[in-house]
Amino acid sequence: MEQSKALVPKRKILFIYMFPSVALFLIFNLIPVVMAIYYSFFNWSGGKTMKFIGITNYIRLLQDGVFGKAIWNNLILAFFCVVFQVGIAFVISSLLCTKMLKCKAFHQFAIFMPVILAPVVVGFLWKIIYNADYGLLNFFLRAIGQEKLIQAWLDNPDIVMKAITIPIVWQWIGMYVVMLVSAMKNISGEIIESAVLDGANGIQRTLYITWPLVLDTVKVSIVLAVSGCMKLFEHIYIITGGGPGNASMVGAMYAYKTSFIKQKFGYGSTISVGIMLTSLTMVMLVNIIFGKGKKRYG
Amino acid sequence: MGKIESGLKKFGSLLVNVIISAFSLFCLFPVVWMLYSSLKEESEFKRNLLSLPIQLHFENYLTAVKTGKMDTAFVNSVLVSVTAVAVLLFIAFLAGTIFGRYVFKGKTLLYTMFLLGMLIPVHSLLVPVFIELKIFSLNNNRFVLALIYAAFGLPKAIFLMTTYASTIPRELEEAAIIDGGNTHDVFFQIFLPISKPILSTITILSFLDAWNEFPFSLILMGKPELKTLPIALTYFTGQYSVDYTPMMAGLAIATLPVVIVYFIFHKKIMEGMVAGAVKG
Repeated sequence: MEQSKALVPKRKILFIYMFPSVALFLIFNLIPVVMAIYYSFFNWSGGKTMKFIGITNYIRLLQDGVFGKAIWNNLILAFFCVVFQVGIAFVISSLLCTKMLKCKAFHQFAIFMPVILAPVVVGFLWKIIYNADYGLLNFFLRAIGQEKLIQAWLDNPDIVMKAITIPIVWQWIGMYVVMLVSAMKNISGEIIESAVLDGANGIQRTLYITWPLVLDTVKVSIVLAVSGCMKLFEHIYIITGGGPGNASMVGAMYAYKTSFIKQKFGYGSTISVGIMLTSLTMVMLVNIIFGKGKKRYG
Repeated sequence: MGKIESGLKKFGSLLVNVIISAFSLFCLFPVVWMLYSSLKEESEFKRNLLSLPIQLHFENYLTAVKTGKMDTAFVNSVLVSVTAVAVLLFIAFLAGTIFGRYVFKGKTLLYTMFLLGMLIPVHSLLVPVFIELKIFSLNNNRFVLALIYAAFGLPKAIFLMTTYASTIPRELEEAAIIDGGNTHDVFFQIFLPISKPILSTITILSFLDAWNEFPFSLILMGKPELKTLPIALTYFTGQYSVDYTPMMAGLAIATLPVVIVYFIFHKKIMEGMVAGAVKG
């Protein structure tokens, strides 16, 4: 950007205007990251005695079955969120963009609504839906005569993670729908028209025109879904608290429990660093995988 | 052939409408169900989960306020959210405008730093922020909580503001300078009024974030009289017999302000969130 000298404010003024943002960001984002790394090398329960123990916490972290389980659950959630959230969102967005659909604005309004709710509220709502005695899910199963399927959904370690996935997909899918719809609307009408003239049907148009042209948005959605799933906390805290046992434990929940319930701040910091590293690695991996994918299509 | 084709088309169109309507219903229904169930009597709710209330039992809301101390929590949520939004607006306007309009040494580095903030999983900051505030005895402080929310909102707000500020025509700025205005005048008399649309987007988005935030409020607000609404909701569980309808009323109290904001500003919210997300 070129600019005449007279327009550039004095350095001092720039500094003063920029200072509050930088200060706040340092105090509550960057310095805490550094602190987390620092404390991760200590054995510390929050009191006066803090013992430097080197990388002992990290060795323990790598051998910690609960941490492994938690990260594994994060990865499972990320996988399901990518497949269902982004996948279903793509189908829904394609349908939302067809001429056949009526009341488009209303549908978009309805589908996006859960995005703005507090995750805590979503957690409670679905906890009630899954409730064994007074839950909507069992109520519906009873209504359609599938009594044998009725169960205490959140008490079964084999099912609990699947049960947790649904509220998460439910809450955020609207975000991806709106992102994809706005990308699809940017596809020029001419391309679609010429495809129609060439005799391409709706499904062909979706596969060969829409899909490659919104691939960038799909990539962003996948990065968002993966990094979003690494951050999950509230839904799990409210719906299961990580249980039964550790069946639905995720990284953030484990860090919270270790630090604030068991008061192990040193090891809690190590877990936090572990989550950060896993999250960054995942986002980078997704970027690498889809960076290559883009070349193939483009 | 024409007949079969048009018949197929009609069927396809019907199918698309049915699928999307069912999906919309799936997204909307739990919220609607929560709202009308909050007005049912407990026994009525347990008898039939789906039925509409026969009589409107607003006393559920009184029970909810009492159980969750939701009146105090509501005031706290308003105070914290409003402060957070005000602080964020002011500082992000200044920083974003500078990023969007001027070149200076270290600009790219600084801007990248803010954007990378979107990648830090906030939950891994729970422990260090808690310790940091404990050292200075700044936990149990609504203003500090608001500052934290402002800090977490910075990356998105600065990104939106920067993008917007870079589109403001240079002539406006030149005219103001020729008229003898200094930097302060240019920022607050030229840029600020022009930036109203993006500032209102930032206001709405950061209000929603602050209002809905849970984990930091949970660990930092130990005193009951300082708790915000999402924390107050946790008071409804833990006992053996949960009364569902007052709980639904509590959820409704926490949700209604957000839903009202959504009704009025849904277009802006969608646009702003998508713009912020695509960069993140």
